[in-house]
Amino acid sequence: MSLHKAFEKGKFVVTSEIGPPKGTDTDDIRRLVDLYRGAVDAINATDNQSAVMRMSSLAVCKIILERGAEPILQMTCRDRNRIGLQSDLLGAHALGIRNVVVMTGDHVLAGDHRQAKPVYDVESVQLLNIINSLNNGADMAGNALKGNTCFFAGAVVTPEANPLEPQLMKFAKKIQAGAKYFQTQAIYDITMFKVFMGHARRHQAKVLAGIVVLKNERMAKYLNDNVAGIRVPQDLIAELAAAPNREEKQKAGIRIAARHIRRLREERICDGVHIMAIGMEGSVPAIMQQAGLLE
Amino acid sequence: MIITKKRDTKAVLENIRNYRRIFLVGCGECAALCATGGRPQLEQMKELLHAHGKEVTGMHLAKTGCQVLGTKRELSPHKEAIAAADCILALSCGAGAQTVVELNEDKPVCSANDSMYLGNMTRHQVFDERCSMCGECILDKTAGICPVTACPKGILIGPCGGVADGKCEVSPDLPCVWIRIYERMKKLDQLDEFSASVPSPKDWSRGARPHNGNAKEPKNSR
Ligand code: SF4
Ligand code: SF4
Repeated sequence: MSLHKAFEKGKFVVTSEIGPPKGTDTDDIRRLVDLYRGAVDAINATDNQSAVMRMSSLAVCKIILERGAEPILQMTCRDRNRIGLQSDLLGAHALGIRNVVVMTGDHVLAGDHRQAKPVYDVESVQLLNIINSLNNGADMAGNALKGNTCFFAGAVVTPEANPLEPQLMKFAKKIQAGAKYFQTQAIYDITMFKVFMGHARRHQAKVLAGIVVLKNERMAKYLNDNVAGIRVPQDLIAELAAAPNREEKQKAGIRIAARHIRRLREERICDGVHIMAIGMEGSVPAIMQQAGLLE
Repeated sequence: MIITKKRDTKAVLENIRNYRRIFLVGCGECAALCATGGRPQLEQMKELLHAHGKEVTGMHLAKTGCQVLGTKRELSPHKEAIAAADCILALSCGAGAQTVVELNEDKPVCSANDSMYLGNMTRHQVFDERCSMCGECILDKTAGICPVTACPKGILIGPCGGVADGKCEVSPDLPCVWIRIYERMKKLDQLDEFSASVPSPKDWSRGARPHNGNAKEPKNSR
């Protein structure tokens, strides 16, 4: 079922993601697709995440598709100008890719090619406008296309941004520009997330809460100190710290993720989740099972 | 003003390694204010070159180094000293250096400075960049603060997801310009207007290089 259909049917949607490899070896991608297929509704292929050069998300989306799963093309504005972005969008469409999630993209200074020229010819809201235009049969310069696209466009949002109001304004602009769904930055505090959802529910767009699976308390502290817009509350850190060893800590991380997902679904707080199990991809089916999402 | 930075002494000496007699040209405007091309820097350079076995045939502090005609006039009394030099070393921005290039077709010109950006001087010899001369000013839509320049991503509709407690993702020392714009818009009661608008992508063709222009009114216009 397409991502669009899944939302339409009112399903509690689950997406996950695959970080493309550094190199040409695609075995891991296939292995992960096989693991996720049938469990999640769609799989993101990240776009040179954290500005670290990797295989193109477009190529990985095609592999996901060939392997029988629903891909979501992540597209940042960091590495391509408006010509490159539109050209890749047309190519993605021709290859059967229908879902796109756009974002401005981490600055090149965060990555492994710090000398690169950052592009940012357009940014996320403008890229959504471009997709809209391609969907309506014209490029952004107004030239007619021979065959238009029919992308299902989404974007990202940080529910715990500080200050929140400018983030909400941008969120509204993204919806205005055609974003139909959002994958959020990782959330760990459901009460805080509900505050954000109170604002988000004034709009039509679907929201998938970001779930990053914690491996241990060190990772939680790292996220708190280093990643903008992520805040792991102390009680969760304590819960991880209380687990005696590596394996038990991972189990605790899985338990926390599953507990949050279950609550988000049962209380109908949002429309689904986007699970990012960095380095713990294998745990996704277990998380879904514990959350009551798999029979 | 144009902000310049002195190049590494080693790099300067390396670039002029094949020349023994040097003529120096400084600039009395921006480079003087940046302490990269004023009178004291010309004197320091002369000493440095002497210490490295070079001969300085003469020097001139141009009034405004990027002003070609004026500099040409100023340099004419130095004809002989320039003729005696193997190379001219420009202590100015790259534009000033190229005035000297234009005026001396048969003489190598080296630059003693790196040209950095258009800057505001906030205190004595302290600068920050506020305008990157994009060719299509949007200050009227951004509460007078330029995101093209002050946001490392040049985002026209901000902030991005990287902002943390009002600071930019690129450096905790950098306030997120979009939070500054937001605060100022709030103060100026411009938020509603901003919410309703989506700025179109920038027209970079306006910034296509190289630029040239003519500020003179056409003869027949009033
Ligand atoms: S918008 Fe362009 S012209 Fe205006 S201040 Fe910024 S860089 Fe300069
Ligand atoms: S944090 Fe603010 S200033 Fe920094 S890149 Fe993002 S929008 Fe630009």
